[in-house]
Order: sequence, then C-alpha cells, then structure tokens
Amino acid sequence: MRRAISLGLLIIINFAIQTTLTGFHVVGNITPNLMLILTMSFGLMRGRKEGMLVGFFCGFLTDCYMTSLLGPFMFLYMLIGYLNGFFHKNYMIEDVLMPLLVIIVDEIVFNTCVFLVYFLLRNRLEFLAYFKGVIIPEALSTALLTIIIYKLYVSINKHLKKMSNKTKIHRLN
Amino acid sequence: MKFDRRKDVNPKYLLLTFTIICVICLLLSYFAADSVTTLKYYTSKIIIPVQKGINDIGVWTDSKLENLREIEELNKENEQLKKEIAELKTSVTKYQNDLQLFASLQSLYKLDEMYPELNKTAAHVFAKDSTSWFSIFYIDKGLDDGLFEGANVMCDDGLAGIIIECTKSYSKVRAIIDDNSNISGKVMPANALCTVEGNLKTYQDGCLVLKNIDKNSKISKGNKVVTSHISDRFHPGITIGYVSDISYDSNNLTITAKITPAVNFSNISEVLVVTDPLKSIEE
Repeated sequence: MRRAISLGLLIIINFAIQTTLTGFHVVGNITPNLMLILTMSFGLMRGRKEGMLVGFFCGFLTDCYMTSLLGPFMFLYMLIGYLNGFFHKNYMIEDVLMPLLVIIVDEIVFNTCVFLVYFLLRNRLEFLAYFKGVIIPEALSTALLTIIIYKLYVSINKHLKKMSNKTKIHRLN
Repeated sequence: MKFDRRKDVNPKYLLLTFTIICVICLLLSYFAADSVTTLKYYTSKIIIPVQKGINDIGVWTDSKLENLREIEELNKENEQLKKEIAELKTSVTKYQNDLQLFASLQSLYKLDEMYPELNKTAAHVFAKDSTSWFSIFYIDKGLDDGLFEGANVMCDDGLAGIIIECTKSYSKVRAIIDDNSNISGKVMPANALCTVEGNLKTYQDGCLVLKNIDKNSKISKGNKVVTSHISDRFHPGITIGYVSDISYDSNNLTITAKITPAVNFSNISEVLVVTDPLKSIEE
C-alpha cells in the first residue's frame, strides 16, 4: 500500500515537473523524458509487473494531456516498462552502466515509435534529419539526467523495501 | 494477504489485460469522446494544482537564488554598506519586477490596440507538453472565462496559436510552430495567398514554412505575413511573421518561402486570447 501511494506521488510529481520546470523550447525543443526514466528505473529494479504498471499510469497522464485519443502513449510506456522488466534478473544496486544503456535504447525505441505514428504517417519522410535533430539529443539529455535521478530512485526503492520488511516482521511477531 | 495472491499472477496475463484496457480506451475516446472528457477533467483536478505549485516553487527559489548571488557580490565590494545595499537591492528587485510586469502588460496593451476591433482577454501560460515532438502549451482560462475551442491566441505582436481543447478551467493551445499547424495566410504588400506550415525540422533553425505561393506574385525578404481573409479558423489580418528566405519549387508553379515568426516562443508567459467567434457561413 505504502509502495503504491509513493509510486503514485512519484508519477504525479514527475509529470508536473516534466510539463513545467523544463522550460518551453529550451534548446531547440528538446526536453529530457522524466517519465521514461521513472518507468525504466522501476521496471529494472522491480521487474516486469511493476515496470508495466508505472508505465501504464505515466502513459495515462501523458495521454490525458497530450493527445485527443486515450491510449497510444499508455500502450507505449506500458510496453517499455514491461520489456525493461526482463532485465530485472541482471539488476545490481551498484550498476550504473546498464540503466544508462537501457535508457538510451528505450529513448530511441520510444521516439522512433512516436515518429512512425505521428510524423511518418503524415508524409514527413526525412527520418535521418529527425533522428539527428530530435531523437539523439533527447536520448543523450535523458541519459545524462538518468545518472543523477536513477541513484535517487534506487535509494527510494531500498527504503520502501526496508519499510515493507519491517511491517512483515512485525506481523509475524 | 490479498497483495500476495496478486503477486502470483503471471506478468504476461497482466500485460494482456492492460493492453486490452488500452485498446478499449482508444476505441472509447475515438467513438465516445464525451465520456473521456470527464475522465480528463478529474485527472486535471489532481495535476493542475501540483503544476501550479511547482511553478510557484520555481519562481520563489529563482528569486531567492538571485538575491543571494547579488548580496554576495556586494559583500566583496563593501562590507560596511552591506546592510544598506541589501535593503536597496531587495527594493530594486521589487521595482524591477514591477517594471517587468508593467512592460509585459504594456506590450499586451499595445497588441490590444493594434487589433481594436477584436475583443480579447489575457491569460497566463502554466504548462507545456511533455515530449519533444509537439509544441503545445496550457493557459489558465477556459470555458468559464468565455474561451472556446478554435479561439485565436496572440502574444508579443502576432499570432501564437489556436485553442484546440477547452475545459472549464484551462485550455490547450497549439502553437503555430507545431508540426500539425497549418494556417492560411497572405504575404502583405503583394497580397499573395499562401499556407503557413509549422515544421519541427525547420523550427530548429527558427523558421516556419510558407507554401503554395503563386510564382508570379512579387514577394521579397522582409515582407509581412498575416492571416488571410479566407481562413475559417483565424481572424484576418493578424501578423504571423516576416519572410526570411525564398525559393522556387521544382514544379515551377509555386514558391516556397521561410518566415520568422513574430512571436518569441522560447519564453511565453502572458498571452491574449480573442474571444470573438469567427463568423461562419451557417450564421
């Protein structure tokens, strides 16, 4: 229960920061994707199920605000959270390289999907230009932020785990 | 105990369930848009106060940081006058803030005077979209303040965008630089009709694309581009931008040009929204 509430708060805060503090068109319209970092982190730290649920609600908020249709981003975030959950087996607390690699791949996949659905289908064909101009800068800026934020999530996760263990022991006694 | 039982569910089946939920949502929002708007309304009830709070915290910490930095510099210069200068500084920043507000309001007023025939209302921008692909921002006025879907939004001295979704308390504005944006305009002294397309790729160089201009029309760099009289969504005569580059199309019939928008989109904070509905043929 505690975990669900804190995760919900994390999602809402992340979404609010994503839409406010990252100024309007800072560097040529590129903003790091905080929601993806959140989805990736919890998929990696907690496995498929939790990654999927976090992704689902991140996508739900994005959809509520961004698109007139409810669903596309929901599905995309959810799938990414689910797929990242497969790396849970290789998860180690000290490891920073793996989340970094995973987030870069995630960013490229995520943005390529957005490009395919929202741009390519409207006859914007120059994939390479968009790849260089949008996807790569966003992936790099997100990766940079991941180094800082991922550590924070790891400690939050550790803390939550400790709390739930305590209550379990308490219940057994 | 309930939680433990749920843990035994295979994630595969959970994925399947949520995929089905996604598809249902998609269909629901496509075929019954009204049912989704209530859902959106309640989520916005939770999110918007958080967004506004974070905005306030940002402004507050920014002002505090600014103050600290300024005081430190003064310390180095003169320790005796520290107190006095700090007091003066705070008052100066207050006046500067007032002056800034005054200037922004004055520019809004000027804009209001430029188009006297239109009724307008001012609004604050409080959030922007969450990805790098779209140029959408949110303003803090909605249906209750007399706004409506399709209302034109202006800033600085030109067109900023159009309201594409309007709820009771806030509205969503698509900027003219958004890749989906498409406006009918005309190049001013030549009176040549054209379409102004927002384009994510060219906006990275700071310009929009102007298409379908007749080859014979005499346009040149620096010409003003305004919204045309044949548009069914935009009021005629609002400045969009200025022509910066002209090239002939390969079909040798039309010209494509680039224009620099009149609005500086990097820091929009106050906008004016036209509250007059555009007269349509049905009326």
